[in-house]
Amino acid sequence: MLDRFTKTALVLMVVIAAIILIVAYLGYIGDQGKMKGIGPIVEKHAASTVANVAPVSLVPTITDLVGKFWGFTIAGIVAGFIVGYLWTGLFRRQEDA
Amino acid sequence: MHISDGILAPEWCLVWFAIAIVFIAVGVWQIKRGTKENASYLPLLAMMGAVVFVISVWHIPVPVSGSCSHPIGTPMSAIIVGPFPTVVLGAIALFFQAFFGHGGLTTLGANVVSMGIVGGFSGYLIFVLLRTVNSPLWLAAGMAGFIGDVLCYLTTALQLALSVNPGSVLSHWAIYMVGYMPTQLPLAVAEFVFTAGIVQYIADRRPDLLAKKLWGGVPSA
Repeated sequence: MLDRFTKTALVLMVVIAAIILIVAYLGYIGDQGKMKGIGPIVEKHAASTVANVAPVSLVPTITDLVGKFWGFTIAGIVAGFIVGYLWTGLFRRQEDA
Repeated sequence: MHISDGILAPEWCLVWFAIAIVFIAVGVWQIKRGTKENASYLPLLAMMGAVVFVISVWHIPVPVSGSCSHPIGTPMSAIIVGPFPTVVLGAIALFFQAFFGHGGLTTLGANVVSMGIVGGFSGYLIFVLLRTVNSPLWLAAGMAGFIGDVLCYLTTALQLALSVNPGSVLSHWAIYMVGYMPTQLPLAVAEFVFTAGIVQYIADRRPDLLAKKLWGGVPSA
């Protein structure tokens, strides 16, 4: 039998995962996967207003190495494990006590 | 709001770094104090750091504008762990995000100012203000998320205008704001929803974890 905390956590996980999948799908079908970040768009516009200003990359990026999909997937999984582990520890403590 | 390397003039990079370092120093001092006073504070900080990293790098498509952007997460973090420690968390998250092609190293100070300082502090102040006038907790937290998100992007627009267009700051600030807002406003609404939900959940479950104990005076429920 699942306790209230576990039920809430599971429901939240499913809802968040569903939201991520839905917006990702909307983004994919909305512009055939070509939706660009608004930050780089505005930044590029700003750079175009003057000479000698352009975005550059001073550090090698993980996304260049393994691609955006895997780079962000790995980052998300690692961060998810950290959050999940600490969340469980923090929010079960009072219940167990 | 992640400004890349090569966009801002060196003198502006230094100005933003100078401002950020002051807040980071106070944040580090508060983290040291907080960890001594509350055993749950360090894991909470680590969790919020991971949350801020993911939220502020998570590009969400906004079909109405044809582009995507991300929430910032720092208003929520400021309510939960305090605004100064949130600047430290924001700086760490932004440093690692530079290796994911989001932001840069020379612009780290500018990005810390917009996301960590303006986003975190404005959200926290809105939260305190609304709680002072007896607003429901979820509404105060949600408004903190919404306003912190919008002000963060207004700051980024100002940073771009100040550095790139010093001769016409106001007009270019307006232009950059108009560029950001159609995508960012729907995401600010999303920021409202998850900030309200998570802060209310924590207040119901572990009210002792909220920043009120460490930074006094904020009624939590």
